[in-house]
Amino acid sequence: MPVNSLAAAAMQWCVGLVLACCALLGATQAMAADPPKAPGDTVADYWREVRQGMPGVSQVQGAEGGVMINARGETWRQQRNGPLKRYGGMILLAMLGIIVLFYLVKGPMKLSEPPTGRKIQRFTPFERFAHWGTAITFILMGLTGLAILFGRTVLGPLIGSDGLGGLLALGKLVHNYLGPVFLAFTILLIFAFLRDNVWQKCDTEWIAKAGGLFSSGGHVPSGRFNFGEKTWFWLGVTFLGLFVAATGLLLNFPALVDRTRDLMQNLVLLHAIGAVLLLAMSLGHIYMGTVGVEGALDSMKTGEVDETWAKEHHELWYEDVKAGRSGHP
Amino acid sequence: MARMKFLCDAERCIECNACVTACKNEHEVQWGVNRRRVVTINDGEPTEKSLSVACMHCTDAPCSAVCPVDCFYTTEDGVVLHNKDACIGCGYCLFACPFGAPQFPQDGAFGERGKMDKCTFCAGGPEEDNSTTERAKYGRNRLAEGKLPLCAEMCSTKALLAGDANEVADIFRERVVARGSNRGAWGQNLQFNPLGGGKG
Repeated sequence: MPVNSLAAAAMQWCVGLVLACCALLGATQAMAADPPKAPGDTVADYWREVRQGMPGVSQVQGAEGGVMINARGETWRQQRNGPLKRYGGMILLAMLGIIVLFYLVKGPMKLSEPPTGRKIQRFTPFERFAHWGTAITFILMGLTGLAILFGRTVLGPLIGSDGLGGLLALGKLVHNYLGPVFLAFTILLIFAFLRDNVWQKCDTEWIAKAGGLFSSGGHVPSGRFNFGEKTWFWLGVTFLGLFVAATGLLLNFPALVDRTRDLMQNLVLLHAIGAVLLLAMSLGHIYMGTVGVEGALDSMKTGEVDETWAKEHHELWYEDVKAGRSGHP
Repeated sequence: MARMKFLCDAERCIECNACVTACKNEHEVQWGVNRRRVVTINDGEPTEKSLSVACMHCTDAPCSAVCPVDCFYTTEDGVVLHNKDACIGCGYCLFACPFGAPQFPQDGAFGERGKMDKCTFCAGGPEEDNSTTERAKYGRNRLAEGKLPLCAEMCSTKALLAGDANEVADIFRERVVARGSNRGAWGQNLQFNPLGGGKG
């Protein structure tokens, strides 16, 4: 038994050694047949790498002075002038069309009972300051941003290159300097309304009835904000608002931080995609806050709403306030 | 009309940067702006190559396509020029350009971009030829004087060629033929084969 096992072990060792030798031989043969290629082995390889953006050195200083070819530029051009403008424009026009159609079919939401004349406070002066600050900067940012992306297509044939230049010289200043202000107001707005935009039990019913969009009565009881408003708060103001403001801030002040073209190209695309989605959502919010819902604009203008309005739009909040509680969830 | 082109011969460029200096001097370009630069690939290695790069005056120019104010135009000579009065300094042309040609002076607070400046093929801008305003904004208009771009005119090894595309192509074709018979400059196969097996 021990002799047998010894012989077996020796046999195994021999087989292993032979296999190892074969492997080594194979490897050396492979190396001899296919020597590792250094960059620039052939003329075609050499210039292909340069074409793909391989950096060299240059006496001209700057972030990318040594990069002979910016390989991504043409792709970026196609993405910006192609899908971004086409689908971005389509999304915004479709949203506008849906809202106009909704207005024509259903019309504005009016109160079903006469106003009582008794007012209750819905927004504090601080909340209104945060809201209008964000709203005004947002509208200016939106208009100037749209002019940068679509101005040449829409206004170009009307006012020409010089007209566009004059308009956008001002537009760029407004957009660049107001950006950080918009970010500050957005943060203020998030803090102002954060505690009211948490999940409540009544939100389940709101979702189940799609906010009363298709039911005859129309109104679903809700707290200070309904689920639609909460969606706008989280998806629109918080996520998209901060995303667009942050990407914009990185695009700003180009000479202070020398950023690469690749980063700037990606940031422009992300910033524009976020902005188009935010603008599309904001159209819905602006419609509901002005002509869509009777009395909504007054609540943000004066901070007060009529008791009938409160009861019909935010019943649970109304009952809370009437019972002497804060009205916050 | 002629179709203007630049061509830089990698077998001849010696990275002297004279084209860069000549350009800056001829057009009195703003501080921090280089309309032309020399890039060296594989610096210090046997495969080292240098090329002088500037605006290549593309037929379908990406800078022009992405400009939000549409301030670029192509002259009858195929030179891509822009109108600085309309330019807003957004930087999009730089993001799109394959050659890093558009340059921006730092202007105003927070390092904001000023109006874009780039190689004009020594052909000025939209103003009246050789007027003082054109000179101040775009530099000298040598093409209007019947001269070719200075960078190429004064290139000591004649690596950088500028002029009508057909004539530039003819000169380069002549060089290629000469090198092919191993009587001209170093052949590319010899130059690029690190194992020394040059086939001329």
